[in-house]
Amino acid sequence: MRKSLFTLMAALLAVALVLSACAPQPTPTEPPPPTAAATEAPTEEPTPSGPPDLTGETITIYHFGDLSGPLAAITTPLIHGAEDAVKAINESGGIYGATLEVKFADTGGKAEEAVAAYDRFTSEDPNALVMITYGSGEAEALAQRFAEDKIVNITAGLSSKAFYGAGSGYTFGLGPIYPDQMGATMKFLSENWDTYKPSDAGDEIKLAYLSWPTAFGQGGLTAESRAYLADLGIEIVAEETYDVSPTADTTTAILTAQAAGANVIWTNTLAFGPAAILNDLNSLGLRDQFVVAGDNWSMDLATYAFLAEPAYGVGLIAPFPYLWWTDTGNTGVQYAQTLFTANERPASEHNVGYLLLVAGVDMTVKALTHAIDTVGYENLNGEAVHDALVEMSPFDVLDGVLRMDFSGGSRSPHMSQIRMIQGGPDAFNVLQDWAETPDLRPQE
Amino acid sequence: MGVPRPAGEFDTTYAYDMATIRRNWQWWLLIAFIVSLYALPFYASQSIVSLVNRIAITVIAIQGLNLLTGYTGQISLGQAAFMTTGGYISALLVNLAGWHFLAALPAAALGAGIVGLLFGLPSLRVKGFYLTMSTLAAQFIIPWFTRNIFPDILNGAQGVNVRVPFMFGIEFNSPQKYIYLSLTALVLTTIAAHNISRSRLGRAFIAIRDHDLAAELLGMNLFKYKLQAFFLAAVYAGIAGALAAHNIRHLNSETFNLNNSVMYLGMLVIGGLGSNLGPFFGAFVVEMLIEFATLFGPFFITLFPATAAGAVQALKPLFFGVTLMLFLIFEPRGLAHRWQLLKTAWRLRPFSH
Repeated sequence: MRKSLFTLMAALLAVALVLSACAPQPTPTEPPPPTAAATEAPTEEPTPSGPPDLTGETITIYHFGDLSGPLAAITTPLIHGAEDAVKAINESGGIYGATLEVKFADTGGKAEEAVAAYDRFTSEDPNALVMITYGSGEAEALAQRFAEDKIVNITAGLSSKAFYGAGSGYTFGLGPIYPDQMGATMKFLSENWDTYKPSDAGDEIKLAYLSWPTAFGQGGLTAESRAYLADLGIEIVAEETYDVSPTADTTTAILTAQAAGANVIWTNTLAFGPAAILNDLNSLGLRDQFVVAGDNWSMDLATYAFLAEPAYGVGLIAPFPYLWWTDTGNTGVQYAQTLFTANERPASEHNVGYLLLVAGVDMTVKALTHAIDTVGYENLNGEAVHDALVEMSPFDVLDGVLRMDFSGGSRSPHMSQIRMIQGGPDAFNVLQDWAETPDLRPQE
Repeated sequence: MGVPRPAGEFDTTYAYDMATIRRNWQWWLLIAFIVSLYALPFYASQSIVSLVNRIAITVIAIQGLNLLTGYTGQISLGQAAFMTTGGYISALLVNLAGWHFLAALPAAALGAGIVGLLFGLPSLRVKGFYLTMSTLAAQFIIPWFTRNIFPDILNGAQGVNVRVPFMFGIEFNSPQKYIYLSLTALVLTTIAAHNISRSRLGRAFIAIRDHDLAAELLGMNLFKYKLQAFFLAAVYAGIAGALAAHNIRHLNSETFNLNNSVMYLGMLVIGGLGSNLGPFFGAFVVEMLIEFATLFGPFFITLFPATAAGAVQALKPLFFGVTLMLFLIFEPRGLAHRWQLLKTAWRLRPFSH
């Protein structure tokens, strides 16, 4: 029995190795057949003359995210934003006549599901160009695959590891990475400490990092951000985590922060994440002892759904790397509002997700158009879209709703405002206009 | 459970009596099935290959749970935590220590097994619901450990990127290649699980499950056998975790969570506790349900755009929950038992008894 088992094992191993050596390469990694145009530098041979007519062609954008997991509160409007934006683009003629299409998959916030969705999409489309993802964990897990298969990933998951980790290179952010966001906010606070500090606080900023125990939640804390804070003279006195749950109890974390002498709380969370801290601070009667700041997602209408009182949101400070619905003077915001109204979306979806995906689709269309102009539709692939994003930089998306710059090896923008909630919902007022964030990307 | 055979069919040799597969055509059918799986990358899409890959890894995890829960009767909610252990051990050995994947995989299995032993210790004093609670502790302690201990190595909550296996000049960086690793591991773990269940050890497991006091009175060392069951379950979880981590290429404390542990237990119930076919049936049915929900979701949104978002969120857990509930009510012994009944009816045809 033992002998035959070893024989079987050896045979299986041998067969597996032979077959895996002979296994067909996954189609997405196969580059398109080389043509004369493709082998030359794209900038040297622009499209011969006039815009191409791509009527009858279809270009698909894939996006996947968490509809059934912990971040579902904010993702539904993302989907509708993408759908409405694509619908409007197609109604206005598509990309040189080509119809734009979006396909979505729910990953439940799990990396395993994201890999499955990725495999399914790349299986359906051997020349997938762009995928949009939402979660930091998903972006990190898939970063190498995107680079290997040369598919551009435009992501709202702004963990630095996804953008600059080993083997990455095709992941581009819709906002500054979380260390940059935290760095920018802390720089602003340190420069304006006398204005914003709690009445009992001393002259030095003592930071408590209270966040979710996830890739997203811990995304702000990196070696680079710690060093930057130290340079600013800011000491991190407490690092506490709390559950990724709308009913999470943060009182222990807050009391620990208080005991450690913290006067600023940073949370890298969204929706019920910042709401839990604000609710508990008010319950404990400690709200006036802390400046509360968070990542860009923390300042959103989705947070109000979880606040015990809307007034609890007042005073929250966050980096804001896009314009907001209230910036009605901007034509990009006007366009997003028109889509929102025309498609009769419910008021609950009038949040950052919808606006950002309208902008994200606009950015994708810009990149696709630039790539087609450069290499021609027949040579359009993920690499060309990647190059287009870099070549276009710096550029505005949706008439300035986003400000992008992927030059100099950067794959996340470095411009942001700083805003504070100064009233009822939607009163996200500007404290500091667009300014460059610190560049805290990790060493590649 | 032996399947009844028609009258007049006798075992004439010990080998025939012991045989798992008795007829030549059954051998050929099995070989054809395995070959068709191995040849999958040549005729199936990447999406299907990826799905089969995922199912294979899931089956390995459930096989371990089957040894512990199905055969020994010790309910565990810590299987996913042991997968995390195996995944991290393999990832660190390959990434940092430069170990070969084939060396890291058994090390991951062994490491997970030892951790499983620790969490099996309470089985000496508690059983049933209380033991379940103590295994649940693994699902909190191990992820906490990965988030908070050795942050320079484990990288806290952000986790680690895991290298793809590279062996004999082949980089297993696509589902079409990776499936050979997962299928080979599955074949070997299936042989091992089958043999364990037929061995002295397996009989002891079953005796403990059926009546632990009687087993102890017969001279069995309950504690020893229970610990062995925990060890084996965690070894299987370690293998599955390592395979999954290198397949996903990223691992953090959330990758295998409590939800996974509950799902694995549900899959085992649906497939059939205490049957070697149970893990296969359970994993296949539930993964297909999840796949169906994934594919059905966009269609559902098209049909009911106004209300779809909320409904689609519920599809996956809804399908799983309803299926589990129906099985618990109508077929608590799972699909494997239904399969046995079907085989029996076929062999005894045209007489049903």
